[in-house]
Amino acid sequence: MLLCWLLFIPFIGGLACWATSRGRDNAGLARVIAFLSMAAVFVPAVVVWFTGDFSLSGDPSIAPAWQYEIAADWISRFGIEFHLALDGLSLVMVMLASVLGMLSVVASASTVKSCVGVFHANLLWTLGGVIGIFLAIDLFLYFFFWELMLIPMYFLIALWGHEENDRSTNTAAAVKFFIYTQTSGLAMLAAILGLVFLHYDQSGVLTFDYNQLLTTDTSGAFGMVLMLGFFLAFAVKLPAVPFHGWLADTQANAPTSGAVDLSGILVKTAAYGLLRFALPLFPEASANFAPVAMTLGLISIYYGAVMAFAQNDIKRLISYSSISHMGFVLVGLYAGTMLALQGVVLQVLASAVSTAALFILAGQLYERMGTRDMRALGGLFGRLGALPGFSLVFVVASLGMPATGNFLGEFLILFGAFAAHPWFVVIAAGGMILAAVYALYMMHRVYWGNPDAGGTIATMRVREYTMMMALVLITLILGLFPNTVLHVTQTVTHDISSWFAAGVIAAAQTS
Amino acid sequence: MNDTWFQILGALPPLLVALSVIGLFVTLCIARHERLVYAMTVGGLNLALVATIALIPLGPVAVTPLYIVDFYTLFFWGVILVATLACAAFAMPYLSGFNDRREEFYILLATSALGAMSLVAARHFGSLFVGLEALSIPLYGMVAYTFRTRASLEAGFKYMILSGVASAFLLFGMALLYGATGSLAFTNLIPAGGYDADAGPWMLMGIGMMLVALTFKLSLVPFHVWTPDVYEGAPAPVATFLATVSKTAVFALLLRLFVSAPITDNAWLLTLVGVLALASMLIGNLLALRQDNLKRLLGYSSIAHLGYLLTTLVAGASLSIEAVAVYLATYVGTSLGAFGVVSLVSSPFAGKDAAHIDHFRGLYYKRPVLAVSMAIMMLSLAGIPLTMGFIGKFYILSVTMASGLWWLTGGVIVGSGIALFYYLRVMAILFMDRPAHAREPQLSGTGDNWAQTVVWLLAAATILMGIYPAPLIDLAAVAGITLGS
Amino acid sequence: MEPAVQHTVVIWPLILFLVAALGLVTVMLGLSYVLGGRHDNRLGNQPYESGIKPTGSARTKFSAKFYLVAIIFVLFDLEIVFIFSWAISARDLGWVGYEAFLTFLFDLTLGFAYAWKIGALDWSPRAPRQLRLDAIESNQQRNLPSEQTS
Repeated sequence: MLLCWLLFIPFIGGLACWATSRGRDNAGLARVIAFLSMAAVFVPAVVVWFTGDFSLSGDPSIAPAWQYEIAADWISRFGIEFHLALDGLSLVMVMLASVLGMLSVVASASTVKSCVGVFHANLLWTLGGVIGIFLAIDLFLYFFFWELMLIPMYFLIALWGHEENDRSTNTAAAVKFFIYTQTSGLAMLAAILGLVFLHYDQSGVLTFDYNQLLTTDTSGAFGMVLMLGFFLAFAVKLPAVPFHGWLADTQANAPTSGAVDLSGILVKTAAYGLLRFALPLFPEASANFAPVAMTLGLISIYYGAVMAFAQNDIKRLISYSSISHMGFVLVGLYAGTMLALQGVVLQVLASAVSTAALFILAGQLYERMGTRDMRALGGLFGRLGALPGFSLVFVVASLGMPATGNFLGEFLILFGAFAAHPWFVVIAAGGMILAAVYALYMMHRVYWGNPDAGGTIATMRVREYTMMMALVLITLILGLFPNTVLHVTQTVTHDISSWFAAGVIAAAQTS
Repeated sequence: MNDTWFQILGALPPLLVALSVIGLFVTLCIARHERLVYAMTVGGLNLALVATIALIPLGPVAVTPLYIVDFYTLFFWGVILVATLACAAFAMPYLSGFNDRREEFYILLATSALGAMSLVAARHFGSLFVGLEALSIPLYGMVAYTFRTRASLEAGFKYMILSGVASAFLLFGMALLYGATGSLAFTNLIPAGGYDADAGPWMLMGIGMMLVALTFKLSLVPFHVWTPDVYEGAPAPVATFLATVSKTAVFALLLRLFVSAPITDNAWLLTLVGVLALASMLIGNLLALRQDNLKRLLGYSSIAHLGYLLTTLVAGASLSIEAVAVYLATYVGTSLGAFGVVSLVSSPFAGKDAAHIDHFRGLYYKRPVLAVSMAIMMLSLAGIPLTMGFIGKFYILSVTMASGLWWLTGGVIVGSGIALFYYLRVMAILFMDRPAHAREPQLSGTGDNWAQTVVWLLAAATILMGIYPAPLIDLAAVAGITLGS
Repeated sequence: MEPAVQHTVVIWPLILFLVAALGLVTVMLGLSYVLGGRHDNRLGNQPYESGIKPTGSARTKFSAKFYLVAIIFVLFDLEIVFIFSWAISARDLGWVGYEAFLTFLFDLTLGFAYAWKIGALDWSPRAPRQLRLDAIESNQQRNLPSEQTS
């Protein structure tokens, strides 16, 4: 019941928002509905957080331990079920989605002027799709949501994209985004089907159920190919370096709240997918593939950092920095120890929050200064109220300063991966220096330096201030009390790491 | 009940359509009344549809050695009748500006549908040929129906001449097969050395020539060249009919031929079909990229879709027939919707090149529901979840994966990736700002509301089937079982 | 029997036919080439019109009416083929065949009535001419705007 509530509230809220736009455009009402729907997702999630029992289950060889589970027949011909379940990992991700969803609604209040109702409908449907991804454990249902969230996102970018550009530029960016993710998604669908038929050959049961598919024996070359299908989809969405072409264009053209959505959540669905599906379903293939994936991770770290350094547009800089962050995630994921996986979860959350905050700040800056080109900015510290201060906080968070979640995430990843892959860790650690370089360079170019004139240009509104304070709070909680999160996800990461370890052993034996 | 009556009962739906065609002739001999003619056509088709549904519990009926009415037949009869009804609904407002005899259009439409129904039920070369010609010959007239626009006349001629050549190939192929096996029934086409023997060169040449003719009708690469021209020139409702009914009937026949004729079980032949499929999906999609005319674009996209569909023939998995049934049903529903919007927005009697993509710019702000329907259809053609097009694509990928055809899987994925580009382009244009010089969409016209309702129904069905496809899948599964057995 | 022998047995009439057809053509053309007189001058290449100088083109336009009548003639004339094929086996087909054939003839008659009704059989120009004038008029009304835009 709770799961249905979490899943359907955004969709219903979206419909309600759309309904407000019929007849006269009632902007305020749409905003309130959208915000309340996300809050209605957030509050029960928090309740579960506090009341749920997420202690370590003893034996990871049995089916995963779900806190809540619901299943109903959907397409019985293929053994497809409407099967939702929630464990610590999904809970954390759902909370992240709802928080960023609320932020998106608030952040778009001043920038989105046209067709407010439809805008919020699209926003809520995207979020609904994302929450569906986090909850679905039937692979068909999962794929369904994976593609579903693209459609409203497409409209968000194409119709409410960056105001400076005309429609066709935004549309081009939206199309690029759509084609990248949809095509790789089809590869994943093919891989899902291959896995299902493999399972059918082995057990005679045609099912898309995650719990049952986990028992499939996916060793061998066929498993490797299927794993690559999954990996391709996730690597595009993450994005890891050879597949990153869409991200900067898309984020630079997305509306502020759309960009928040995209970097904060859409991109994180890939990390979630790798953690939930690619590693547990194909432990042996993943273990074999780990060096390649980690190399891609390293390349992403350095490439993202160097590209970020070379950008003039603030938003493009931030998106390249998020590529760099995701490089760490990739390294941590394929290291596969429990510590590293916990680090991945933390890094995903922290990077989502800090990137989202930086995007919102970039949006606010654009609103005040009319440009995002760093060459035209400078010397703004002290002229924009609290905005530069907040920027400093999140820039520092993004470069991985202790006391922020990002630091802990990166630290745990590197620490957890060191035993197995020392050289990867040594090289990855170097990337953190580059992060400091591009982040501070941006800070320097935008806010420091000689001001053109004195006097305050604009201060922050209460709404914006509250929003930023909340994000600072979350970053600090993640950095100072990481156990609040790690405690919830430990069961999941423990299970995954033990599966992965078994895969490593199996891979070592066969090679 | 004796045997003859039982057979007549089995053939009731096409008989009803035939009766309505005769009735239309009688009516036209007495008096011209467009409404009456329209009502008779739609009434006859609807009666046939009801009869089709009523026949479901009857079980397979062999109607003479020529036809077999099993569930597979009934399924595709249903698809054909629904599509024909939709075409009739679109034709009504489309022709309202046509300043000549309009009534004959419905005769041609119903006759063509009759041919399609005969084709679906055929299990013998005789009925195959009669069905194919009954399907095609009225189509020549329909394509050239608005013959005063030069494009329509040109399209009609192109289609007629090329179709004639294809028919010649078909006949020659049949003759070769008859010479080699001494039989015209599908199931008797056995290689000389028995079921497991390889077919000799004469048989391969025969089946190859038949394949040429049928792939021409399906407009698969390399026999696709006529498609965009004919689609562009033909009146929009006729293009709809070409893209849906004609394709469905011919493909259903091709599948029956491949399933029941033993000689088609030949590795060389299947590889050839696979190459055709791959070429169609890639070339169709690539050529569609640069099209500015929506009818041409949909024409190329239909080439690609038939390419996807052809992979099922190669796979030969137990799932194939079901996949074809589902894919064709979803494809027909979606194409009907897309072409329906095109024919509602464009009318040839108010200017040139009405299907140009610029006329659709900002359609959302003029006719929101129509534009949203069009967007849904585009998403469905692209195979995005939440639409029934996705279910079809899911089936195709299932079939190719289940039979381990990696290269075709790759082709489907790459093709769909390319296709997204132009489907999204159309979708984006619907929501763009409307330029001042844009032509107003045609609004008035008798029957317009009804045609709009059809489009809305199709859009709703697209979404519903996308969310809950179980009923369609169950129907298709039964169709697959009866043909496979 | 050897397959090759069987093959030749089946195919020799075809080859004979082919040789005969080609031979006939070759003989006709060849003989006239060999035996016919040839001379190449200006007047010699003119068509022989009994001394009158030929003027104009040999190609004259016929009314489309001829083609229409011709095609309708072919349509109804060809039905005899079906009647013959039915008549041969009429006894074997019995009453069902008779009914089927009556249906066929009824449809044919219906087609005839339809052709009559729409004026396809009218040779006299009145009714078709009126239709044609209507058509021309409506054509002008319709096509003028579109011609200008092109």
